[in-house]
Amino acid sequence: MKRWLPIFLSTLLLAASTSVRAETDAEVGARKDALDVAGAFSNDGFKIRDGHWCGVVKPHDHAVVAVNLYAGNQYWFSAAAAEPGKIAVSVYDESGKQVTTESYNNGEKAAAGFSPADSGQYFVSVDLVEGDGGSFCLVYSYK
Amino acid sequence: MIRFAKLGVVVLGAVVFAATGATDTGRLPVDQLEKAARSDSISIPTPGELFAALGKSEKTNWSGQYRGPMPVTYRNRAQIALNLGGLIADGFIAIEAKDSQQVKNIGSDIIKLAKALGVSEHLLARGKSINEFAENNEWDTLEEELEATQNEVKSSMQSHADQDLVILVTLGGWIRGTQVVTAAIMQKYDERSAKVLRQPALVRFMQLKMNEISPELRQEPLVKNVSEQLNGIEKLVSFPAGKTPTVDEVRKVNEAVGKLMTEIESKELPK
Repeated sequence: MKRWLPIFLSTLLLAASTSVRAETDAEVGARKDALDVAGAFSNDGFKIRDGHWCGVVKPHDHAVVAVNLYAGNQYWFSAAAAEPGKIAVSVYDESGKQVTTESYNNGEKAAAGFSPADSGQYFVSVDLVEGDGGSFCLVYSYK
Repeated sequence: MIRFAKLGVVVLGAVVFAATGATDTGRLPVDQLEKAARSDSISIPTPGELFAALGKSEKTNWSGQYRGPMPVTYRNRAQIALNLGGLIADGFIAIEAKDSQQVKNIGSDIIKLAKALGVSEHLLARGKSINEFAENNEWDTLEEELEATQNEVKSSMQSHADQDLVILVTLGGWIRGTQVVTAAIMQKYDERSAKVLRQPALVRFMQLKMNEISPELRQEPLVKNVSEQLNGIEKLVSFPAGKTPTVDEVRKVNEAVGKLMTEIESKELPK
């Protein structure tokens, strides 16, 4: 329980603090759900990054974020959508080629697990598989 | 119990997925890669992530990477921000070393430097949490708390119209983290560890962020110096994919970031 306190406090503080773009209630809710998914991996020793990325996902479109990963680490990218539907998370290398990941899909929640052989830049894509689109949030964890 | 249930769901999902085959292979077009979102909070890894990758292959002597007490009386705000980032990286080192007293000392110095920037109002509670987690040897939680502290400092900087300093905190942390990692790899070279040094896009991204800061701050001698030297460092960490840096290449990166770190720590600012 104690372990969740800093994450919970960070969520509240970040949601309350002034930032470049204020988060919507839907994004805050999606972030909480994404943290729920990521929390499951904590049992396996994964540490959850405090940072997050929220946005809007539309039908037939990719929402893509660049990340920089280290060879030797294992990563899980966990996302949740605010609206009912089905999302998927995919990872691409620096040339844009999709890499093989472990995947978890459960409606508006999804995650992709990946262990890079090379350090460097990768791209994480959140895709809408079913539904009309809306806000989503992505967090990641590593060990 | 709930966490176990959640894990069960995840594992089940993964197993179901594995049964149906691996992810379809595809490709993202170049324009989508260029348009990809990039942000300080998710595109830039923490020093803790870098240290975690290093710790996989060889037992690292983390306490051997400590540096002496640093001044917390700098007057130049850019220099304070750069050193604050470096100090946060030191906190991650102390966590890797599982050294609760060192974590507490660094936590206290972080608060002092943050106060000098006027962004400490929420941080006293963080300082208490860091002490408590350190006393209870809750290392994973401490790592998350330290990152949360860093993000709170940055968030506070943004709300105080000090957003230009945010990238300097990040950069200070990356420079110190890279200095420590290269030193550790040189002490006990192995190819797997050396692979963590390939980060050209990360350095390029930090350079772009540096170019976005105000012209006045960019003209400050220390900031200008750091920015110029980043160009050379980007070349040093631009290894082709699949290539492992040699000991000599690791040494070159270590010398470059070490030189920068000396300038950042120095009470004598460059002219």
